[in-house]
Amino acid sequence: MNEQLDDIGKRLPYTESEEYLNDLIDTMTENAILQQARAKKKRHWGMMMAASAAAVALLILGIGLSVIHQSSKTETITLQTEGPIDEFLSSLSDEEAAQLPYYEIEEIPEY
Amino acid sequence: MSMAAMTDDSTFQLMLQDPMRRNEGFKRLMKQYGQMLYWHIRRIVVGHDDAEDVLQDTCIRILDKIDSFRGDGPLQTWLYRIATNEALQHLRRQTRLFQSIDSLEDTLAAKLQAEASIDGHELETLFQQALLTLPTQQRIAFNLRYYDEMSYDEIAHITGKTVQSLKTNYHYATQKVKNYIKEHSTR
Repeated sequence: MNEQLDDIGKRLPYTESEEYLNDLIDTMTENAILQQARAKKKRHWGMMMAASAAAVALLILGIGLSVIHQSSKTETITLQTEGPIDEFLSSLSDEEAAQLPYYEIEEIPEY
Repeated sequence: MSMAAMTDDSTFQLMLQDPMRRNEGFKRLMKQYGQMLYWHIRRIVVGHDDAEDVLQDTCIRILDKIDSFRGDGPLQTWLYRIATNEALQHLRRQTRLFQSIDSLEDTLAAKLQAEASIDGHELETLFQQALLTLPTQQRIAFNLRYYDEMSYDEIAHITGKTVQSLKTNYHYATQKVKNYIKEHSTR
């Protein structure tokens, strides 16, 4: 039995030659280097895209916020100018307005 | 590669961590260890095409992870660990859900029959068939000891097993292989 195992030694029942394997390994080495370079480029491109997208998002957010802020301001003005009290005040003549501090609350007409 | 042309671990480490010399270092690394890795992988996955795929994945992984090699252990065992993990992953991909890679024995035996040279290699083929009856982890440890002549410490570093369990497993594996050959040998 041991003699049989000694006969085998470290041999394998495969026929790939050393030359063939050397060529194969050279090709694989080149492929790995190329693939890593491509992956690096892709990562770099991805980071650039992410940064650009973030910048655009921030810009849109900024514009959106300023529009919202502007419209809420307009709303306040509208309320101030178009409210019933304002209508009442604007309908007063200068003399009536001068008398205004002397009005009792009951004297202000219903609106 | 001749012994004179062999590059030591520290030289490799210096080359691989220098961005300007990394590719050259990697090419030299693969020249030195490529065939060893191929045969180690081939002994695990059996088929040449499978070994080719796994070796390609191993190359990519090595290049990708080379920065994480700190030289705490020999470079060779680090490379073998990556190759072993890639080979095991390849085997796992061939299994069904909840199926162990050890159940691939018949598939691997069929590949061996298909690829083994029939001219005067009966005993070598029989030996490989005997090895395929071992559980995968035991087979890997046996191969590293028998073919690559690694120390138990090195095998432990690659497989993550304890030295004691490796010694015990190697003993059982040897007995099992001898018994298989005895039973199936026609000589």
